[in-house]
Amino acid sequence: MRTGLAARTGTGVATAALLAFTVLPGYWMVTSAFDPRANARGASPLPSGFTLDHFRFVLADGGFGRFLLNSALVGAGTIALAGALALLAAVAVARHTFRLRTTVLVMVLVVQMVPLEALVIPLFVQMRNLQMLNSLLGLTIVYLAFSLPFAIWMLRGFVAAVPREVEEAAYLDGCSWWRMFRSVLLPLTAPGLVATSVFSFIVAWNEFLFAFTFLQDEAKFTAAVGLHRFFGQHTNDWGAVMAGSTLITVPVLVFFVLVQRRLSTGLAAGAVKG
Amino acid sequence: MATEAPDPTEVPDPPAAPEAPAAPEPPGASEPRGATGAPGTTEAPGAVQAPGPGAGGTSGAGRAPGAGRSPHRAAAPGTATAPARAASARERAARAARRRRRSRPWLLLAPALLAVGGLLLWPLGRVVWMSFQDYGLREIVGGSTNYNGGANYAEILGQSYLWTTVLPNTVLFAAVCVALTVVLGTLVALLLLRLPPLWRTLTASTIMMAWAMPAVTGTYVWVWLFDPFGGAVVQGLGSLGLVDPAATNWFTGRLTFYAIATVNVVHHSFPFVAVTVFAGLLTIPRELHEAGVVDGANAWQRFWSITVPAIKPVFLVVVILSTIWDFKVFVQLYLMPGGNGANPAVLNLGVWSYVESFAQRQYGMGAAIAVLLTLLLLAITVVYIRALFAEGREKGESL
Repeated sequence: MRTGLAARTGTGVATAALLAFTVLPGYWMVTSAFDPRANARGASPLPSGFTLDHFRFVLADGGFGRFLLNSALVGAGTIALAGALALLAAVAVARHTFRLRTTVLVMVLVVQMVPLEALVIPLFVQMRNLQMLNSLLGLTIVYLAFSLPFAIWMLRGFVAAVPREVEEAAYLDGCSWWRMFRSVLLPLTAPGLVATSVFSFIVAWNEFLFAFTFLQDEAKFTAAVGLHRFFGQHTNDWGAVMAGSTLITVPVLVFFVLVQRRLSTGLAAGAVKG
Repeated sequence: MATEAPDPTEVPDPPAAPEAPAAPEPPGASEPRGATGAPGTTEAPGAVQAPGPGAGGTSGAGRAPGAGRSPHRAAAPGTATAPARAASARERAARAARRRRRSRPWLLLAPALLAVGGLLLWPLGRVVWMSFQDYGLREIVGGSTNYNGGANYAEILGQSYLWTTVLPNTVLFAAVCVALTVVLGTLVALLLLRLPPLWRTLTASTIMMAWAMPAVTGTYVWVWLFDPFGGAVVQGLGSLGLVDPAATNWFTGRLTFYAIATVNVVHHSFPFVAVTVFAGLLTIPRELHEAGVVDGANAWQRFWSITVPAIKPVFLVVVILSTIWDFKVFVQLYLMPGGNGANPAVLNLGVWSYVESFAQRQYGMGAAIAVLLTLLLLAITVVYIRALFAEGREKGESL
């Protein structure tokens, strides 16, 4: 066999190094958050003890409960809007006109390409004029636009995977288009909708630039902006900063792990099936 | 957007088929269709079946409210009349169904297009419009205009700060990040291929979690790791006697600042490359590698003459996206000490634009910088898309 002991050891060492590099920030974040003397930790790989004080502090005094709730609200609003709009658009793209595929692709590319810094200035002015600067709804609408093209792209694959014959059968049974959509397409694309929603949620949850620019009232802060504010006030209280970071990261990771597999199959399907 | 040319007189049916395979679709390129060898075949059924839902649509049309022009019903009252009327009614019903079929995709698309147009395209136009003005707080509040021609651009392009600091920061940082991300991602993908299934799943899931970590929290963790007072890296190296912790602050130096940012960005973005390239690697038939082994090629030669050509489109896509992302890194720089404009030596184009706008209240200047950044990204995207198309032509329009 060519895969001798040396090769296997090499693979093992490489995997170990990769995993160490990958988990290092997450590990350091969580262990510092539980470390009663986080600031004096230095390079010691293990925390000096276990305490929940940092979490208590950020939730009670730092206002993180409010921030997390705001982020959840914005995320929920984004997935509701993006899910509905993207599914309708995905049906159009997957089922109707062939060349719309190009449009969607161009849209996805444009969104990827345009720097947020170029959008934040005009949208700031626009939202200011609409009196929506300090509102979570304004933020939700902005996130909708950012997550939409990608969501359409992903859902397109899921819609295309539904056999046309199923749709035609519904028509033959006397369904109107809307009825067919509700009773055939919606249930069959539900898994894709879930995966796409989680993705939109993560985009909204993680976003910093717009939330930071738009929101001025601390009661409206999302988690990312709240962490930034907190860091400004408690720069050298690393235990608390890491506790806040952990609180923001954990929901994302949980969601992500839940749908990761489905997300990647959705990506592949979106690209292949037409 | 302009590529689709929605001609209202044209029903989307088989004539679209010859064009379809030429549609630019980078993500498609990354998928196994290349391996099936007949990407056209995956397209063709869709095109050929295009009249299919039409048939379904017509049968459904009779039941749809307000669509009482179904041939049967129209023919029923006038049984004595010539079959001509039935024929014309049938024609009318067919026309109505066709009209509905043609307008439905646009109805379905309208909300999405409206959102994207209002929140992406319209602001893009506005930012260009603002970049030709001395746009400050007064203009925002009063809603007035204050054109100053290309003065903003002249000022930006005329200062050495752009050419010696911001542009090198942006371009070199992006280039290094892309190179490291793609190399590391590819190595990880090759590693994944060698792992037994359980370890493969475990490793892939772990690295994907690095991808999912919010940029804000990730950046704070790296700042904490490299913190000059008590951060793990400085303390660790200090205890080994390699650096003097009292005299080390890596956030103040331009190179060290960007070195830390590079670690942060690469750590955050290599999982995407790894997973995408890995998906591409799975599409390469095993026989190719076996043939290479039989021919006496070593692993290095097999990688360059079998793996790379086989998944070149995947590499192209990964490089395009990484380049675009790394040119507009914002959070990872802005949240580092000094990155919010306090240290002008470490700004890149995006952060500079933001600082000009929201710290200096020079929205016109900020807009002009943002437009320059957008143009830069547009140029890169166009170059890459052309490369992608050239790749497609080489493969006989298989994209």
